[in-house]
Amino acid sequence: MGSFKRKSQEFSNNEGSIIPPPSKQMKQNGLVDEAVACVHDVSYPEGYIPSAASTLPQQDSKPAKEFPFTLDPFQSEAINCLNNGESVMVSAHTSAGKTVVALYAIAMCLKNNQRVVYTSPIKALSNQKYREFKEEFSDVGLMTGDVTIDPNASCLVMTTEIWRSMQYNGSDVIREVAWVIFDEVHYMRDRERGVVWEESIVMAPKNSRFVFLSATVPNAKEFADWVAKVHQQPCHIVYTDYRPTPLQHYIFPSGGDGLYLVVDEKGKFREDSFQKALNALVPANEGDKKRENGKWQKGLVVGKSGEDSDIFKMVKMIIQRQYDPVICFSFSKRECEFLAMQMAKMDLNNDDEKVNIETIFWSAMDILSDDDKKLPQVSNMLPLLKRGIGVHHSGLLPILKEVIEILFQEGFIKCLFATETFSIGLNMPAKTVVFTNVRKFDGDKFRWISSGEYIQMSGRAGRRGIDERGICILMVDEKLEPPTVKSMLKGSADALNSAFHLSYNMLLNQIRCKDADPKNLLRDSFYQFQADRAIPDLEKQAKILEEERDSIVIEEEDSLERYYSLLEQYKSLKKDVRNIVLSPKYCLPFLQPGRLVCIECTKIDDDVPTFSIKEEVTWGVIINFERVKGLSEDDANKKPEDANYTIDVLTRCIVQKDEVGRKTIKIVPLKNAGEPAVVSLPLSQIDSLSSVRLVIPKDLLPSEVRENTLKKVSEVLNRFSREGMPLLHPEDDMKVQSSTYRKASSKIEALESLFEEHKIATSPLIKEKLKVLHKKKELTGKIRSIKRAMRTSKALAFKDELKARKRVLRRLGYIKSDDVLESKGNVVCLISSADELTLSELMYNGTFEKIKVEELVSLLSCFVWQEKLQDTQKPREELELLFAQLQDTARRVAKVQLESKVQIDVENFVSSFRPDIMEAVYAWAKGSKFYEIMEITQVFEGSLIRAIRRLEEVLQQLIEAAKAVGDEKHEAKFKEAVAKIKRDIVFAASLYL
Amino acid sequence: MRGVQLPFSNTQKLRYERALAQLESLSSKVNTNATVIVADTIPVDEDGALKGHGTLDMGKKVVATVCGVVERVNKLVYVRSLRARYKPEIGDIIVGRVIEVAPKRWRLEINFSQDAVLMLSSMNLPDGIQRRRTAIDELNMRTIFVENDVICAEVRGFQHDGSLHLQARSQKYGKLERGRLLTIPPYLVKRRKQHFHHLDQYGVDLILGCNGFIWIGEHVEVKDVMVEDQVNKSDPQNTHSGSLLGSSEELTSTPPETRQYICRIANAITVFAALDFMVTLEGVIEMVNLSLSLNLGVDEMLKAEFHVLVAEKEAERRSTLTKRR
Repeated sequence: MGSFKRKSQEFSNNEGSIIPPPSKQMKQNGLVDEAVACVHDVSYPEGYIPSAASTLPQQDSKPAKEFPFTLDPFQSEAINCLNNGESVMVSAHTSAGKTVVALYAIAMCLKNNQRVVYTSPIKALSNQKYREFKEEFSDVGLMTGDVTIDPNASCLVMTTEIWRSMQYNGSDVIREVAWVIFDEVHYMRDRERGVVWEESIVMAPKNSRFVFLSATVPNAKEFADWVAKVHQQPCHIVYTDYRPTPLQHYIFPSGGDGLYLVVDEKGKFREDSFQKALNALVPANEGDKKRENGKWQKGLVVGKSGEDSDIFKMVKMIIQRQYDPVICFSFSKRECEFLAMQMAKMDLNNDDEKVNIETIFWSAMDILSDDDKKLPQVSNMLPLLKRGIGVHHSGLLPILKEVIEILFQEGFIKCLFATETFSIGLNMPAKTVVFTNVRKFDGDKFRWISSGEYIQMSGRAGRRGIDERGICILMVDEKLEPPTVKSMLKGSADALNSAFHLSYNMLLNQIRCKDADPKNLLRDSFYQFQADRAIPDLEKQAKILEEERDSIVIEEEDSLERYYSLLEQYKSLKKDVRNIVLSPKYCLPFLQPGRLVCIECTKIDDDVPTFSIKEEVTWGVIINFERVKGLSEDDANKKPEDANYTIDVLTRCIVQKDEVGRKTIKIVPLKNAGEPAVVSLPLSQIDSLSSVRLVIPKDLLPSEVRENTLKKVSEVLNRFSREGMPLLHPEDDMKVQSSTYRKASSKIEALESLFEEHKIATSPLIKEKLKVLHKKKELTGKIRSIKRAMRTSKALAFKDELKARKRVLRRLGYIKSDDVLESKGNVVCLISSADELTLSELMYNGTFEKIKVEELVSLLSCFVWQEKLQDTQKPREELELLFAQLQDTARRVAKVQLESKVQIDVENFVSSFRPDIMEAVYAWAKGSKFYEIMEITQVFEGSLIRAIRRLEEVLQQLIEAAKAVGDEKHEAKFKEAVAKIKRDIVFAASLYL
Repeated sequence: MRGVQLPFSNTQKLRYERALAQLESLSSKVNTNATVIVADTIPVDEDGALKGHGTLDMGKKVVATVCGVVERVNKLVYVRSLRARYKPEIGDIIVGRVIEVAPKRWRLEINFSQDAVLMLSSMNLPDGIQRRRTAIDELNMRTIFVENDVICAEVRGFQHDGSLHLQARSQKYGKLERGRLLTIPPYLVKRRKQHFHHLDQYGVDLILGCNGFIWIGEHVEVKDVMVEDQVNKSDPQNTHSGSLLGSSEELTSTPPETRQYICRIANAITVFAALDFMVTLEGVIEMVNLSLSLNLGVDEMLKAEFHVLVAEKEAERRSTLTKRR
């Protein structure tokens, strides 16, 4: 490290001059220049007195590590905190160089003979980091579910899950670790795994210090406050928006052929060119409408016939303008591959590079067996790579993924098609980032990517020290609305919100540990912290609303209120009756064209309901009616009575167009001004059906015809104005036979007579008064709901769920009534990689006893496979039988949970176990070659490998569980299973190790 | 069953037997024919039973390898041994005695079939600093525990070599001083959430180790290192005097009343053990209070009369329990 000495002078200069002394409780902006500025803040635990020692920078001591470059202010600021021995949260963009802080922390610990733990959310990332640290410091170990290297080293790189279980097991490491580094801590908001971070942070040893590295989060201060509170130590926040290379954001309209700069490198939004870009959108033709429901983006890849696809044009342009290397993000593995295939005609590498690529590729593939080298994924990849085009997604073989990463870093890949996973972790920037799609599927539905995700992914654009600026290109199509784009480009990062939830494994581990209590964990959770924070806010709101409510004074409130409630009752009854009469079952035969119908006018103001007995209604003529097509396919099986219908009615409307070109139609009374138009209405907007039918002209397109028809309607209305329009009688005409109908209608009659008794109804100001009363009622309702929210956040979050889950554990015999673990509970403590209850119930029911090892492995595959596959063939009969057994057990577990008042959807839970890869895994356990099992299933190679690796993890946990039970036969069986699946390409070592 | 050898008078014997008979009638009959001795065959379902601890699969039949009661959980069959040595479970609180200071570890006697191991790295250092253990720490091990010290710890689990490891997660574990160690059969201590008890009214700490080692000692305030650290930082002078105070406190001996209470509690537990009753905090406190209200001397608690009283009380307590159900 001799060469660094020269720079140390500079570094200490930095410390003295640029950096204001830390640990003053105020915001300080770095003074260098605006682009590099960072915000430094400190959170102190309550009642903490900052010690005198820490305010003085320790000038005398030599920094634990010196860097061969000048540190950015945020880096030296963070390192200052480390030197003072205080925890720090660093929130900055991916490319900003957070690793420097981690490196310094590690160096510091090694110097002080302390241990340091580095956790990251992903195994692959842990491997990469291990390699990075190992090159820098030699005393480094690695622990992931797959590999363990030198667990006694001073610096341990591991996944957060491993760190969590180490804390539960009381590993020696937790007594020796001085600093814990949590990388990518914003993973805490992950729905499934985020809770692991919370557990790990809450349970971390009280005397250790932390380094949190996170993407930019707006509520970093809140997080730091939480850490300070839970660990009773100050926690610094260093926040920066700074990007070493500024970004330019462009829009590429689909079907168009140019880029439009919408946000320049200064962060200014260019409204004019944004509008131009939108205007350049080629409108979709009618035939393309089918592309909705998620398939719409296919236009992107297919392209108009005879023409190059958009993506091809785009990449060509990028290469021509020398914007390469480029990363093209898309949100599905299939799409990724498909896009790469579009590039078939392109060659971006020269011959020298091709030779290099081939050498690197085959030397990496050397660890594979000959059979595995012939895998289609392997052999198809090389030609693509040689042309400078790469694909990177989780469906790839891990080894291929790593080769591609290496090739990309070496600059041999000019154009990489990647999924979102490429945007986290190791520094692998490109000059340009392209978003081929702006919607992603998040498990339930398609949604726009959030500004936070956009920020994370666009962080890959711009190589520090190479590019002057990074380029971000957004490919948009007609579906996109301007506000969405704007909020995506200009929006702030996603807030770090807790995704805390309970699991049985967590509960049992907490119960087993004598010093812990699940309640304490809940109390200390970030979730609770955030809920507590909201209380003062809610209180204020409630107070304001209460004042407002009390300021409303109404005369004769009592009688008015009685009248009001009467009205409400009347309305709801009317609605009931209408719902019965107008249910498709009764009214369908009467929806003939030409029938006059009474419909509700569109309310001018949605908030204020009318307060007379009569709703504002108008009349129209039925033109047609049709069934609403639902999204689901099983819609066709529905009976006609159950389906939804819309009715096309000709009536008087006011049609307005807003600036975007969307039409809003308001139905108005016939006498008002407006144009005659046909509107589709749901059944619920129909008030009643008359017995009168008109003859309607066949062609309604000319507006005069419609006008005339409406005139006819008015005439009819006039004719019947005295005795009222003859309506279809529900019982006589429509044959409504329902006791509820009869009851409701008799009640209505009774109510109607009651109205007359109310003198107040005749008061001239009745409407205004009722409106005021209604407002008051609304306020009361709001106050009540706020108070309820306050009560729930004051009470321990998850308290009821905790109770319910403990009930489940007691019923299934995992814990005793006094919260002490039964022997069964000890077993579940060991299982964390699969659904613990179902798995242990299966074991305790002796399911594993009879079956063969291969079948066992195959059965367990259902626990680790989560992707949903369409139309896979059913597994063979023995396996099917086993799967049925698993489903039975799962259903039983789910039912017990439901009965114990845990909120759970039984069938959803049961179907979360997927039999899709049973056959493949069975074959693998039988000793088949990998290419053979790939022929059995349709899944991605990488996904299958990941599943089998996780399966091995589960088996290891089961071995421990069998040991705890004392059943040696099971233990031997699980061990045999591990031996059978742990071989060849599936467990090929990472290239980073 | 309860082989108590005491010089009972005739009336005492009668009362004692009546109490026992009452207890007998109250105990559940569920497991009465489930008791096995070594090599007894255990009936199991044919399809897929798990054979747990204390059983051996002989191909056609399953036999017991220990004497005890057959327990079944779902399809798991295991034998819970009676009157055997302590069988550790992860998370148990135990009390043990140091028998050897070995490299990087202490060996402890905890009434298990092997010695337990407490690694130097499995406990917090006296200074509370998180760091790797050095050779100097190893040399200083004797300043922490030496042979015959009584220690309280938590069972961490079995290592891969089959040895049993202990750990001390926080400051409340560690050396126990100025008190009395009592050993009773481990099955008389029920696993509960709480094994540390501070009996405020007597100024006594009671630790019911799951291994049947019971510690009764003068109450010590658990020092929280964190708090002390902060005090240290904010006011260095104060701590100095504080540590002085601590050492002077150590010099003062346990007051005689506390010693009496310790003995009273110990005797109450001894009586429970002699009668083969589960030792619970509530029971112990009740018996101590009984002895106090009867103005019994400490030594009188070990005499026949008190045994009979305890047996009667227990019978009474259990019958009210069953009635309430």
